[in-house]
Amino acid sequence: MKCEKCGKYEATTHIHTLSNGVVSEKYLCSLCAEDEGLGVTHHNSIDLLFSSLLGDIKPKETKKCTFCGATFSQITEKGKVGCAKCYEAFRSELLPYIKRVHGSTEHVGNVPNSSIPEMDSVAQLREELNILIKEENYEQAAVVRDKIRQMEAESNE
Amino acid sequence: MSNWYSDKENKNCVTVSTRIRLARNLSDLAFPSQMTNEAREELKLRMKSAIKQNNSPLIKSLKYIDMADVPENEINAMVERHVISPEFARTNTGKAIILSDDESISIMVGEEDHIRIQVILAGLCLEKAYKTAQELDSILNEKLSFAFDPKLGYLTECPTNLGTGLRASVMMHLPLLESTGQLKQIGDSVGKIGFTVRGIYGEGSKAKSSLYQISNQITLGLSEENAIKNLSQIVEQIIEKERKAEGYIEKIVLEDKILRAKGVLENCRLLTSEEMMNLLSLINLGIRLGIINSEYETIKLLIEAGPYMLMKKYGTSTPEERDIKRAEYVREQFEAYRKA
Ligand SMILES: [Zn+2]
Ligand SMILES: [Zn+2]
Repeated sequence: MKCEKCGKYEATTHIHTLSNGVVSEKYLCSLCAEDEGLGVTHHNSIDLLFSSLLGDIKPKETKKCTFCGATFSQITEKGKVGCAKCYEAFRSELLPYIKRVHGSTEHVGNVPNSSIPEMDSVAQLREELNILIKEENYEQAAVVRDKIRQMEAESNE
Repeated sequence: MSNWYSDKENKNCVTVSTRIRLARNLSDLAFPSQMTNEAREELKLRMKSAIKQNNSPLIKSLKYIDMADVPENEINAMVERHVISPEFARTNTGKAIILSDDESISIMVGEEDHIRIQVILAGLCLEKAYKTAQELDSILNEKLSFAFDPKLGYLTECPTNLGTGLRASVMMHLPLLESTGQLKQIGDSVGKIGFTVRGIYGEGSKAKSSLYQISNQITLGLSEENAIKNLSQIVEQIIEKERKAEGYIEKIVLEDKILRAKGVLENCRLLTSEEMMNLLSLINLGIRLGIINSEYETIKLLIEAGPYMLMKKYGTSTPEERDIKRAEYVREQFEAYRKA
C-alpha cells in the first residue's frame, strides 16, 4: 500500500487519531509521518532520510573505492555503502550525513579483538577445506587449497 | 520442542518480548549488496568453520542451516516466528542461518550485513539478551576479523547502524495508550532522544494488534550499556503510563468486549488472521486486568496461527482452508486453557 499523502513510498505508519469521538485513520510513509510531526514512525525512516539526503548532492568526480569499485553516486543511490574500505575512500563525503543521522561521529562502546593471529587464518582455511571435502564440494575446495598454498608460500618468503 | 515464545516464566502482558541485534561485517569482504556469489559462498564457509572450531557449550548448542536447503513455506514461517527478517527471507541464495533449539538465538549470515546476531526472549529481559549476544559476538570474533574503525565503530552496510551495530527493542502491548491517543506524544518525546515507537503487525492493514516496538535509533556515540539502560527506562515509563490508563476506562464496557472476544474465539468456525489479531489483543488485555486467567498464551497463538505456520502444520493451501484450520486450532487451545 502506497502512502496516502505522497503516493510515492510504501505506507509504513498507520495512524489513528481520536478527536471529538471520531476515529480517523491514515496510512503514511515514514517521511510524510515525520513531516506531520508524528512520532510513531517506522524504524526505516532514518534509512530513507539518509538516502534522500544523499540523493540531493552530485559527486564532483568519479572516485572509486579501490576494494569494491563502488562510486559515491552508487552509494547515494542505494543508501548502502559498498565495503569497509568505502568508509575510508568517501570519508569526508559521508561524515556530514553520519552526523545528521546519529548526532555524533565518535564511536563509544565495545571494541573488537583485533589481534587475531595471522597463522590462525591458515588453520581456519584448513578447517574450511575439510568441510568442503566432506561436502564433496570439490570445486570450491580447490580454490581454498590454492589459497592455503599461496599463504604458506608467502609466509616462507 | 519448546520455542522462545512458549516461555511461561517470563511471560508478560505489557512487555511481550525483548530482542537484541548486533550487526557485524568481515573486514576483507565487500558488504552484501556488492558481493559476488563467490564471496557469498566464502562468507558462509568462514562462518561455518568459525562455529565448528569453537567448543563452548553456547556454540555447540547451535545448528548451521544453509537457507538454500529450506523450503519457501518454512522460510516464511520463520519470519512469522521472528527468527529471520522479511528482508532476509526475500531471497535464499548465498545465505545461512545459525539457530538454537528454542530459536531464541539466530545468527543471520548474508543479510544486509554479513552477520546479524539476534537474541529474542519472552518478556522484558534486555540485560540477559544482550549478555548472550555479546558472548556470541566475542566468540565469533575469536576466529573472524570484524570491520571496525576507531572513530566510526563497527562498520555496517547502512550508515544508520554504524558504531555499536546494536538494535535493542522491546515489543509492547499498548491497547490503552493507543485508544486514548497518547502514543503520538510518547513517540514524539522518545524520538527526541533517539528512540522510536513503531507499530508492528497489521501495518497498512485494518488489523489492530496494539503491538508496538520500542527501539534505539542511534548507534554511534552511544554505548551499548547506555542504549540498553535508556531503553529500559523508557520502557518502564511507558509501562507506567499504560497501567495508569487502566484507571481512565469504563471497566464494564471493556469487560464486555473482552469476554465477547473470548466467546468468539471459543466458538468460531472461520477465523481470519486479522480478526484473530484484534480478538487476541483484547484477550491479552483481559489477562492483564484479571478478567481472563493467566494460562492463555496470546503471543504463542498469534505466531502459531500465522498463515505460513498453519500451512506448515496442516498443509493448507487456500486462505479459506486456513481460516477453518485457524478457528479449529484456536478453539482447541482455548479449550485447554479453560480447563487449566
Ligand atoms: Zn509519503
Ligand atoms: Zn568499497
